[in-house]
Amino acid sequence: MKRIHKESLKEALKAWEEKYRVIAPRLTERDERIFDTFDEAWFTLDYAKPSLPLKHALFPQSEAVFQVDQGIYRSIIREEPALLFGIRSCDLKGMLQSLSFMSKDFDDRFYTLRAKNTAAIVMACPGQQSPTCFCTTTRSGPWADGGFDLQLYENGDSFLVEIGSSRGEDLASSELFEDASDPAAREKVTSFRRRAAQSIPLVPEIEQAMEKLRTTGAPDELWERFGMKCITCGGCSFVCPTCTCFNVSDRVLTEGSGERMRSWDACLYAGFTKEASGHNPRHSQALRIKRRHEHKLLYHGDRDTHGGLCTCVGCGRCSDYCPVHIGALEVARDMSAKIF
Amino acid sequence: MDSHPNIYQPFPVFIARTLPQISEHRLFQLKLEDGGTWERFGHQPGQFIEVSIFGKGEAPISISSPPTRPDVLEICVRRAGRLTGSLFELGKGSRLHVRGPYGRGFPVDKLKGRKLLLVAGGLGLAPLRSLLLYVLDRREEFKDLILMYGTNNPDNVLFKYELLSFFDRNDITYFYSVDRDQEGIWKQYVGVVTGLFDQAQLSPDDTCAVLCGPPVMYRFVLEKLLKLGFAKENIYMSLERMMKCGVGKCGHCAIGEKYCCMDGPVFNYTEIEHIKEAI
Ligand SMILES: Cc1cc2nc3c(=O)[nH]c(=O)nc-3n(C[C@H](O)[C@H](O)[C@H](O)COP(=O)(O)OP(=O)(O)OC[C@H]3O[C@@H](n4cnc5c(N)ncnc54)[C@H](O)[C@@H]3O)c2cc1C
Ligand code: SF4
Ligand code: FES
Repeated sequence: MKRIHKESLKEALKAWEEKYRVIAPRLTERDERIFDTFDEAWFTLDYAKPSLPLKHALFPQSEAVFQVDQGIYRSIIREEPALLFGIRSCDLKGMLQSLSFMSKDFDDRFYTLRAKNTAAIVMACPGQQSPTCFCTTTRSGPWADGGFDLQLYENGDSFLVEIGSSRGEDLASSELFEDASDPAAREKVTSFRRRAAQSIPLVPEIEQAMEKLRTTGAPDELWERFGMKCITCGGCSFVCPTCTCFNVSDRVLTEGSGERMRSWDACLYAGFTKEASGHNPRHSQALRIKRRHEHKLLYHGDRDTHGGLCTCVGCGRCSDYCPVHIGALEVARDMSAKIF
Repeated sequence: MDSHPNIYQPFPVFIARTLPQISEHRLFQLKLEDGGTWERFGHQPGQFIEVSIFGKGEAPISISSPPTRPDVLEICVRRAGRLTGSLFELGKGSRLHVRGPYGRGFPVDKLKGRKLLLVAGGLGLAPLRSLLLYVLDRREEFKDLILMYGTNNPDNVLFKYELLSFFDRNDITYFYSVDRDQEGIWKQYVGVVTGLFDQAQLSPDDTCAVLCGPPVMYRFVLEKLLKLGFAKENIYMSLERMMKCGVGKCGHCAIGEKYCCMDGPVFNYTEIEHIKEAI
């Protein structure tokens, strides 16, 4: 364990910038809190739940998987060290789950190399960051139990720093970091964790919904009701830390040259499963909503969950953003209201 | 070389020959650019490749030829849209890009020593042909072979000459059907493919059934097979799904907990019967 004073943090970030592209929370001119390239003047620690998970740091919204130059195909896999400062444990869990998926069977080098070259510094949550947080239920927070390089616990005018990897060791090796291996520091972390976990209520309906899907399944009527409401914006997938579906298209620059792109896609769209014959196995919005929620709560192996409860990491963003209230929380509550 | 290649990047091949089939369907024979055989490709009957023409996209296409004939790789393509349409503009010597082989094909090892019933509908014969020719090339490793093939009308019979050539063989029993025969030229069964079951002498106890066709065919053929007493674990079928990546990443082909491109496209019936949306 180490300790860093809050006023030294910017110094540390500046030092890391020499080796990494540093992504950190910042304010905007319109007083929003976003994650972007570290900027000393706009840097903030007052950011609660970031509006988006940093999934795009490992899985850009759109990226080239190869280039074609006058008919010659060339791979372009770039390696660039990056550092994500201040991410939340739910979002880290999302990345770890996605890494398992992207590396199994066929190795998606775009994802796995970026994951390897990206350092993760987690900011443990001192308590519920918004009313939709349910990471204690999904076993993905409020602190990370592994997979990070450093994890920070706020402690008065300093942070206690947990080291999670040899890269983390290296990141915390400068004189800005003091040793804090005393029992008092351990005790501080333990009570921080206890207070944080207690402040985030459990949502038993999530496990009840999982059980329902495993046994009888949810009634068609439920999916039809949600299907009628969904406006097919795809937002729930795009803000989800664990949604990684993509579409593939060619970006032609000049005749015979260009890039093959892969871009975020969403299973909520009608065309997602439509075959060339016109046949569509998920032919209604009800079936597409069902798919999305079953994928999170039912269809996953142990490897995919990375120690979590399921492939929903409890960040609550689908409930925050869906314009018609079809988040994981609403769906699970609706499902379990019918059994009890 | 990177020990983890870019799984999305195809390699170049060229068209050695194109053979028109029926209207809007064409057979392409592909060769490797270095002149070698496809043996090192290591494909199995029932697997597919991803075919690319840059600017027109990429599409999963079944391998129609068996690994026992490795000089060329054959694909039978129906003109359906951008990629498949562009293929029809290419002739002998043209270059295209492919990657694969992908997916789990027919369980050849489990089928060895068994009686086989192959049922194809329409373009479903394209993937099933890789198994059919494989069995014919290694005939002694399999027992009785029955082929049932149905199309909508006599003009739409794929691989016509190959099918006709079976007239000269006594190691395959075949039944062909057409749904409609307006001109009255069809000499065999007229009606849906399930009607063929009443003509064939089947022994459901020791026969494996392998199906390949449109979703509606599966519903009726499955009902028939189960009624005849086929065990569910002796029924295999190749499913089609919208596929983009072919390697288990893009998510388009998911069926329940399965990914059609990785766990399929060939499934045993027991693996998918519990998934409502599978068939
Ligand atoms: C495992 C597997 C094996 C397969 N094997 C074979 C095979 O052996 N042979 C074969 O032929 N096919 C096969 N298919 C199907 C094949 O993959 C599709 O036909 C192919 O992906 C279509 O791609 P495309 O780019 O040509 O069509 P797309 O351009 O993607 O068109 C798809 C749909 O869009 C429509 N469309 C296209 N252009 C327009 C337009 N301008 N305006 C309006 N609508 C339009 C088409 O009618 C079609 O319904 C297989 C599929 C799978 C999953
Ligand atoms: S955010 Fe809501 S409305 Fe938009 S696609 Fe998702 S469920 Fe449908
Ligand atoms: S086609 Fe991409 S996951 Fe199967």
